[in-house]
Amino acid sequence: MDYHRSRDQFEEDRIDEVLELIWILREEGESHIEDVRKRSEDPNVSQVLYIVESEGLVSTDNGRISFDQQGEKRAENVIRRHRLAERLLSEVFEIEEKQVEDHACELEHTHVLSEVVVDSICTFLGHPPTCPHGKAIPRGECCKRFSNELKPLVVPLTELHIGDEARIVFISSKYHARLDRLSSLGIVPGGILHLHQKQPTYLIKIGETELALDRELAKEIFAKKMQQG
Amino acid sequence: MHEHSLEDTKNGNRVAIVGNPNVGKSVIFGLLTGRYATVSNYPGTTVTLTSGSCKAGGEDLWVTDTPGVNTLIPMSEDEVVTRDILLNQAIKLVVQVADAKNPSRGLQISLQLAEMGLPFMLVLNMWDEANSRGIDINVKKLSDAIGTTVIPTIGVQRKGIKELRESLTEERYSSLSISYGNLIEDGIKKLEAILPQSRISRRSIALMLLAGDASLKPWLNKNVSPSDVNTIDAIRRDLQNKFYEPLGYVINQIRLKKAEKIVEGVLSRHQKSGSNVTVHIGKWAMHPVWGIPVLLAALFLMYEFVGVLGAQVLVGLLEEGLFGNYINPYMTFIAERFIPDLFFRDLFVGEYGIITMALTYSIALILPIVGTFFIAFGILEDSGYLPRLAIMVHKIFKLMGLHGKAVLPMVLGLGCDTMATFTARVMETRKERVIVTLLLALGVPCSAQLGVILGMLGGVSLTATLVWAFSVILVIFLVGYLSSKVLKGESSDFVFDIPPLRIPVLSNIVFKTLSRTEWYLKEAVPLFIVGTLILFTLDKIGGLEVIERIASPVVVSFLGLPAKATEAFLIGFLRRDYGAAGLFALAQNGQLNPNQVVISLVTITLFVPCVANLLVMIKERGLRTALAMVAFIFPFAFFVGGVLNFGFNLLGIKL
Repeated sequence: MDYHRSRDQFEEDRIDEVLELIWILREEGESHIEDVRKRSEDPNVSQVLYIVESEGLVSTDNGRISFDQQGEKRAENVIRRHRLAERLLSEVFEIEEKQVEDHACELEHTHVLSEVVVDSICTFLGHPPTCPHGKAIPRGECCKRFSNELKPLVVPLTELHIGDEARIVFISSKYHARLDRLSSLGIVPGGILHLHQKQPTYLIKIGETELALDRELAKEIFAKKMQQG
Repeated sequence: MHEHSLEDTKNGNRVAIVGNPNVGKSVIFGLLTGRYATVSNYPGTTVTLTSGSCKAGGEDLWVTDTPGVNTLIPMSEDEVVTRDILLNQAIKLVVQVADAKNPSRGLQISLQLAEMGLPFMLVLNMWDEANSRGIDINVKKLSDAIGTTVIPTIGVQRKGIKELRESLTEERYSSLSISYGNLIEDGIKKLEAILPQSRISRRSIALMLLAGDASLKPWLNKNVSPSDVNTIDAIRRDLQNKFYEPLGYVINQIRLKKAEKIVEGVLSRHQKSGSNVTVHIGKWAMHPVWGIPVLLAALFLMYEFVGVLGAQVLVGLLEEGLFGNYINPYMTFIAERFIPDLFFRDLFVGEYGIITMALTYSIALILPIVGTFFIAFGILEDSGYLPRLAIMVHKIFKLMGLHGKAVLPMVLGLGCDTMATFTARVMETRKERVIVTLLLALGVPCSAQLGVILGMLGGVSLTATLVWAFSVILVIFLVGYLSSKVLKGESSDFVFDIPPLRIPVLSNIVFKTLSRTEWYLKEAVPLFIVGTLILFTLDKIGGLEVIERIASPVVVSFLGLPAKATEAFLIGFLRRDYGAAGLFALAQNGQLNPNQVVISLVTITLFVPCVANLLVMIKERGLRTALAMVAFIFPFAFFVGGVLNFGFNLLGIKL
């Protein structure tokens, strides 16, 4: 227990990495200690394996390694952070794939993103079920709250349904002129719009103004659907 | 349209009408001045300034109608026109027209007018539409809130105009003011210290500059030293760095919030007064499925009205009845009596006579078709159907590097391409305007020509008509598609205000049709006479034969047409409808077989519409662009005709 106290952040991160690897191996089939040793990038993986087992995070049986309750929880959190970070970086910030991986590895640790922040990201992304590579993102508390509606909260106009009423959250245009034009027509964050049509062009109503817009523009207007009833 | 000399003398008493697009500025202008400005239920139709005088309270005022703006920080050319008149001219009073249904959008402009320090009053037009949608605005409260006169009106019913006229002589400065927060206010102060005194407040110019208004450049270069321009730029950049969003956008948002706050205090809602038939038709007209039958119905009605009533019934009455039975025989009789000289007699009543050819064509053949078209177009335009049509055809136009908005010039082109070329200005970028101008000049047949062509094709067969229509549409589409790829430049965004469907007001339609027809006749008839004179002269000096011989390799060998068709093409250079009329005469004499009818008609349809159109092309797009288009169009027209001829021969098609 002594050494528990003296353990630094670096070691915590190493534990996270190994737990993450075990999780991934489990997703692929079975988690063998040998595979963990082979695929881990940790220079002293045996030491970490000793720590996780002695702390009751995992147990081994006949060369196979499985999570204990606490370890499962912790691994789930790491995976969730990592995959949500991937989604955030690649979809919202449009960062290159190579860099996404590096940054996601940084962001997966508890000390970087707190629970609250992770849940906010998850909500912002609309509780995505998978990472960009198609692997499952473990559900968090926030997802359960919306379990009956797993739709993203903030979506581009193109994802709304005809007849929906939504509040504009942001407009993600690269062109200033486009932002100016939209704002002069009353399309600004905070505005409430009704989506009337998607074909042949988008048709929305803001206040008493009816506007037709091209799909190109609709894609850039992000809105949050208003609660029905 | 411009009356510069008059404008200069009236400068002291200038009243400018400004406001959002499609709120009825031109209607109010017409009611105040008795002059017609292009009134239509289609945003962006006023593209130039129209001015007229107006008597109010014993004063002579000079009223100017301006293009609609959403903000006084211009984003398109027509918005520059409006802002510049406020910036550069001495203005006694601004009459701001706003849509009573949408007061917050109007108030954003009020805020800017107040900022500029210009005296203004607010007209809340379309009061009835607001009411039927359950919107009540407390005029007294609003007037107190913005510190200037507010007058509700219903322009098309002339309600409230008397009150408006009476208050035109009051100069009231609004007490509205707005704070943009410490950072921006700081920037404003810094700029105010640099800017020179001008007609509008330094604060308003400072805000335009902060918002990044590039259209102010000419003004800056004239009024501010280059080093100060650099300082201004630095201040702006510095401030922008402190904001995540573009400054113009931040400023707009603050204005919008303020406007909404004012509206909150004065607007109340009551029960909507029942559902409205026009609201439903308006919805159907842009529905992805129901929009199509509505479109077909509109086309059918238009065809019945223009194609049947105009081109058949009225043309029959005028051409055969009036001219055939009365005017021409009577004139010939008089000429034979009083003009002994055969040469001069022929000048008036011969084969290429001014009366027998030029006037018969223009009055009997063209006028009824053009007249009925303009009535139909006026109804389409005032009903608000055109913007809905824009939605329906948006995707097709998008392939041609355009968007739905181009529907106005294209449909108007079916009436008169020259007029339509002016309205290419509703498009926002140069590239789009060039494409619209090119397609109008190349492929869109005007109603005069369409009447002649359909008359001719109707006599041949439905297949022939379809082949002609298909060829022309294919050419328009291909050329549009290719030019969108070849031409450099941007296409603009398609965001488009949809006005409510309204029942057109008869007097406005009549007014509009008359002024358009008058304009048309003034453009067309002189050209008809000139064309006839050229033919007459060539005929008398034997020049026609020479030209026919020179052109025969192209006309006879390549297009497979009789040499006489050269005549039609020759006058087709002046006006293609006149050329088509020439072909009509040939066909009537049995000199063209069905294949030849289609080939000759496709060729002449692709000609530049007329000399007037060419002049407008030069004026609007510049000499070089216009000439480049002409250099493309004529050879291309013959080329398409030739390809068609080749195709018919190759496939052994006999129509």
